[in-house]
Amino acid sequence: MRRLLKLTHPIHLVSGLTIWGIWFVAIYAGLSVACSVAPPEPESDMFTGINLGVGVATLVTTALLLWLTWASVVAARRAEVRRECYFAYTSAGVFLFSAGGTLFVGYPIVFLPPCL
Amino acid sequence: MSDIKDATLTPEVRRLHKGMDEVWGNPTGLRALTVVNHTTVGLRFMVTGAIFFLIGGLLAMLIRTQLAFPDNDFMSHEIYNQVFTMHGTVMMFLFAIPILEGLAIYMIPKMIGARDLVCPRLTAFGYYCYLFGGIILASSLILEIAPASGWFMYTPLSSGEYSPGPGSDFWLLGITFVEISALSAGVELVVSILRTRTQGMALHKMPLFAWYILAMALMIVVGFPPLILGSILLELERAAGMPFFEVAGGGDPVLWAHLFWLFGHPEVYIIFLPGAGIVSTLIPVFAGRPIVGYGWVVAAIIIMGFVSFGLWVHHMFTLGIPQLALAFFSAASMLVAIPTGIQIFVWLSTLWLGRPRMTLPMLWIVGFLIIFVLGGLTGVMLALVPFNWQVHDTHFVVAHMHYVLVGGMLFPLMAGLYYWLPQVSGRMPSERLGKWSFWLIFLGFNVTFLVMHWTGLLGMRRRVFTYDTAMGWDIYNLISSVGGFMMSAGVALLILDIVLHFRFGKKAPQNPWGADTLEWAMPKPPTAYNFVSLPAVETRHPLWEKPELSRTIYEGEHGLNTIDHGRRETWGSDALTGKLRETVHLPSNSWWPLFSSLALAVVCVSLLVRVYWVAAVAVLVGVVLLLRWSWENGAHPGKAPEASMAPTDPPLHYHTMNGPGVWCISVSHLANGSLYLSLLFGWFYLWVVAPEWQMPETSPLSMPLLVAAGAALTLGTLLLAKVVRRLRRREGSGLGLMMHLAGGLGTLQTLLIVAVMWLAGLAPTETAHDATLFVALCYVLILAGLGAVLCILQGLRVGYGYVSVEAPLEPVVVLRLWYYSLVVYWSLFVAIWVLPTVLGGGA
Repeated sequence: MRRLLKLTHPIHLVSGLTIWGIWFVAIYAGLSVACSVAPPEPESDMFTGINLGVGVATLVTTALLLWLTWASVVAARRAEVRRECYFAYTSAGVFLFSAGGTLFVGYPIVFLPPCL
Repeated sequence: MSDIKDATLTPEVRRLHKGMDEVWGNPTGLRALTVVNHTTVGLRFMVTGAIFFLIGGLLAMLIRTQLAFPDNDFMSHEIYNQVFTMHGTVMMFLFAIPILEGLAIYMIPKMIGARDLVCPRLTAFGYYCYLFGGIILASSLILEIAPASGWFMYTPLSSGEYSPGPGSDFWLLGITFVEISALSAGVELVVSILRTRTQGMALHKMPLFAWYILAMALMIVVGFPPLILGSILLELERAAGMPFFEVAGGGDPVLWAHLFWLFGHPEVYIIFLPGAGIVSTLIPVFAGRPIVGYGWVVAAIIIMGFVSFGLWVHHMFTLGIPQLALAFFSAASMLVAIPTGIQIFVWLSTLWLGRPRMTLPMLWIVGFLIIFVLGGLTGVMLALVPFNWQVHDTHFVVAHMHYVLVGGMLFPLMAGLYYWLPQVSGRMPSERLGKWSFWLIFLGFNVTFLVMHWTGLLGMRRRVFTYDTAMGWDIYNLISSVGGFMMSAGVALLILDIVLHFRFGKKAPQNPWGADTLEWAMPKPPTAYNFVSLPAVETRHPLWEKPELSRTIYEGEHGLNTIDHGRRETWGSDALTGKLRETVHLPSNSWWPLFSSLALAVVCVSLLVRVYWVAAVAVLVGVVLLLRWSWENGAHPGKAPEASMAPTDPPLHYHTMNGPGVWCISVSHLANGSLYLSLLFGWFYLWVVAPEWQMPETSPLSMPLLVAAGAALTLGTLLLAKVVRRLRRREGSGLGLMMHLAGGLGTLQTLLIVAVMWLAGLAPTETAHDATLFVALCYVLILAGLGAVLCILQGLRVGYGYVSVEAPLEPVVVLRLWYYSLVVYWSLFVAIWVLPTVLGGGA
């Protein structure tokens, strides 16, 4: 199990995108449920608790993925086996994409109301 | 070397080849139906897929004939609806996926240095499910009762009220049957790629094609179950009146759209990825240099595989979903352009830095690059919500879809066909006929579909069977129809070229294109066992770095080069490093796959004609056949005539505790889990969104009985876990008794779930709430019953000596099923009893 946590393990080729996927499902499902259960006033425009919640989740997830990117690069530099170096660098690229993807997909909360 | 078959062999090596032929050879006559070999079954998949392509193409020409002129009465609108529905259905489900799977089934073991896929009988079973499902579906056309609601079968149009005939049933049952084939191929491709690569082929050294197929297979495993669930629910609605998609009964038709596109969008990438895999294989060969940025491509494949699951709502932009949610999906849809762009630049860079040879396969690759990039650009346009609203359901979308699918799949497939044809037949295709065929198809395609963008922008809706001349669409439609027939002429030439080449093609040299991968290191046409000896490979380009491999493999100089034991064997290796772990003993030819799939075909047909008692009997027969098939496994003497091993070889896989079977069940649980999560999604979706959802104040399910059933399951799982721990310590006493005890606990759980269902008094035809509960309970009931039966069978196998301390693999596999059931059961308990009780009926 401890082996899986090392950023040189190939499991991290998919762990960044898994985090992205969980965040994506969470914000879409959360938005749908929130709009169904407690829709905000349309006049609130984008200044709503829902936008705030999605925004916080987006920033936290982006920060986590960026940290993982950095940690993967460090792990790749320290790796002694060629294979581990390869997986860590590739994972770093995927983490970076996932971080950018999180920010890009979450960005519309800045200018769109949640439930209209 | 001109051809390794010309090599002079020693008598000993000749005996080895002869022995391999006897053990691996395909029988003829009626027994040819028992063949399980991946080369033969892969070819059967591809030939059947090609036939369905011709049927789909014929339907396309009927469509183009109808639309060539305004106010055309070539077809009635009823027939037109059937034709366009079946065109899409046949092309997507019966051509694109199966032919690519066939290519993967044929090619993967050869590329990774294995002798067969890890579950050869499953390969054959999958093929027969595909064949029978395809025939059942296609027969509806001949009977003029084909589905007519479009290839995505939107409810309520496809529901009983608006499609009362059997057309929708043909689609739902036929496609579900065919999807068994896709799933079985998906599972075994994943496990074969991860666990049967030849010695030393580490994960980061395997051919890029294997990475693409790995991603495709995993996407099939995760992506197909939502549609299978949707099809089951819609068929239950149509046949039994359970209102999953009816608003009045507490259902919601939009749920179907979600379930369909949860499958449908990844499907596009499932089709594209193998095509891109062909491109990534061929470009380095014809550029004469390794691909630029192997790691970039791997990252792009993984990103595509994931992100493609986050785009499904972009097919539903006009369904009334809030704009912020649309923006999420719009952004995610644009994101996918990044991994696509990475691959395109990698391909261009490789060509730029190499010395490209403009051969026939490369012509198709160039065609792919042009068409696919254009399709990708209109894809980004469609990802923009306002533009999407404007062109939704117009011919613009039809044009985009064909640019992506034909460009992304058909053109690479044709490139691959010409590239690997000498490997299959030992002969070279005709350059002249091939070029004629390419240009006719390339020009015909663009004439048809480039113009169709304008037709769409001018407002022509898709699926309309005719139009008034005043609309101004006449000339565009006529041009598209002319292009369509030009393309057909190209396809005819292509078929002619392929047929003629078997007779008149020049004999191909050993490695005609100067390729780097292992499939060119074997005799042509390939032998049933691929390689007489299995080499160690520690490079991405084995034939470039060791061109003598073809000869040394053929002369039996590498591993697993004995056959006196009479077993079909291949290496089992570490998923990551490629180090040898076990010798995988593969099953040989068998009738079980054919008989089992025939039983399922009877189920399918009897459900279609609604003779339910026959369906019930056929289900029973099918289960018995499948269990009987599973009985001939592991240390069963029918499968293993002899268990002796060379002292230097790793142990037979069933003497270990982590053989490929454990991986197969784990990957199967990905599919199973995807189905279950789709069901949970349906439950929560209807609960939250359906306007007429009716949740009772108190749950109709008995909590004590549910808890008791869960307790039996938990105890059984703990017992099985103990069995496995003891086997690891090589303690075998009381093994059979404990397996029977676990089987008893499984039986108790089954009976308790039946009691829960009985006492609940559910009215599944009245409300979607009760219908969903009914399906969820049926699901855990099936899991419980299967767990019980497998444990009882294990107990019997212990008695026969097929399972023991020496052969401990099977209990590990069964334990995985129980773990899965445990997670599913308790999470379902929370979803259908705890949450409704805590939140209350009004929530």
